[in-house]
Amino acid sequence: MAVNNKIRQFFFPSLTPKFLIRASSIALFAYLFFGYLCIPFTIQGISMEPTYRNGGVNFCWRLHTLFSEPKRYDVVTVRFAGSKVMLLKRVVAREGEQVEFRDGGLFIDGKEMKERYVRYPCNWNLPPRRVEKDCVYVIGDNRNMPMENHHFGQASKSRIVGVPLW
Amino acid sequence: MVKIRYILLAVLVVIIGIVVVFYFLPSEEKKVKKQFRLLSEGVLKSPEENAFTMLQKMKNIGALFDEHCELKAPSQSLSGSYAREEISTYAGSTRAYFSQLDLKFYDFHIIFPERAVAKVTLTARLTGRSTAGEQADETRELECVLKKIENKWLFSQIEVVEVLKK
Repeated sequence: MAVNNKIRQFFFPSLTPKFLIRASSIALFAYLFFGYLCIPFTIQGISMEPTYRNGGVNFCWRLHTLFSEPKRYDVVTVRFAGSKVMLLKRVVAREGEQVEFRDGGLFIDGKEMKERYVRYPCNWNLPPRRVEKDCVYVIGDNRNMPMENHHFGQASKSRIVGVPLW
Repeated sequence: MVKIRYILLAVLVVIIGIVVVFYFLPSEEKKVKKQFRLLSEGVLKSPEENAFTMLQKMKNIGALFDEHCELKAPSQSLSGSYAREEISTYAGSTRAYFSQLDLKFYDFHIIFPERAVAKVTLTARLTGRSTAGEQADETRELECVLKKIENKWLFSQIEVVEVLKK
């Protein structure tokens, strides 16, 4: 009987002031946490494959970039339009560095980089360009597509929202 | 007792009045948003659209723009000042390329930096299907300037924000 009461109380709690305060606190915490700190998102597109698959679900952890600068090879979310459309990309170069592609190979300041996360063949060629102040250079892991169809390039650090949780 | 009832009734009437004024009298912000809604309606195309509707929509789109409008969209090879008629023609040729087209605007952020000038930052999403059957789905952040001319808000500048600079 007591167990039955407990179950009933769990699924149909009485609307006491204590319960209402507890429920609103949880709702407020969830709103702030999932709205501003750990934002859920779905991945649309194949530009980060095979690291992140199309249709995958993840969370954007904002505190990571709020207190530290994005480092090379960090995967970051870049605010693309409004507050809801973001790009998932990998930082390959920081301000002042020179970026170049030669026959699919990424060169930073003239030195070829070893990118273990790039699994698909790539034949891109991009003349050297220097990353401007307060910017980072971001690219997707999937470069097995024409360069023109891939969103990549220099992004302002102020547009970096956070990092994926996993 | 009767007096209190009258006071409460008066307060209620005032509140209803404020709500009615707020919702039904168009503020400048609402007038600006309306221009985007009209642009959206002008761009909208269904496969059954006839030539008369097409011409009418082209004319309607043109009427939303200032005599000369600055367009900055390097990815679409559009850059410079365009006359109202040129924009109308460009809109017509773009619409003709698609059998189905829909343009929607989100995340409005409107400021009035000076009198009769509105600066709007927003997200635009264009979806459609070309006459060849190709699917289109593009989202961009736009920065628009509208000027109030003869009591009408007209587009005088549209810039596609370049988030990633190759």
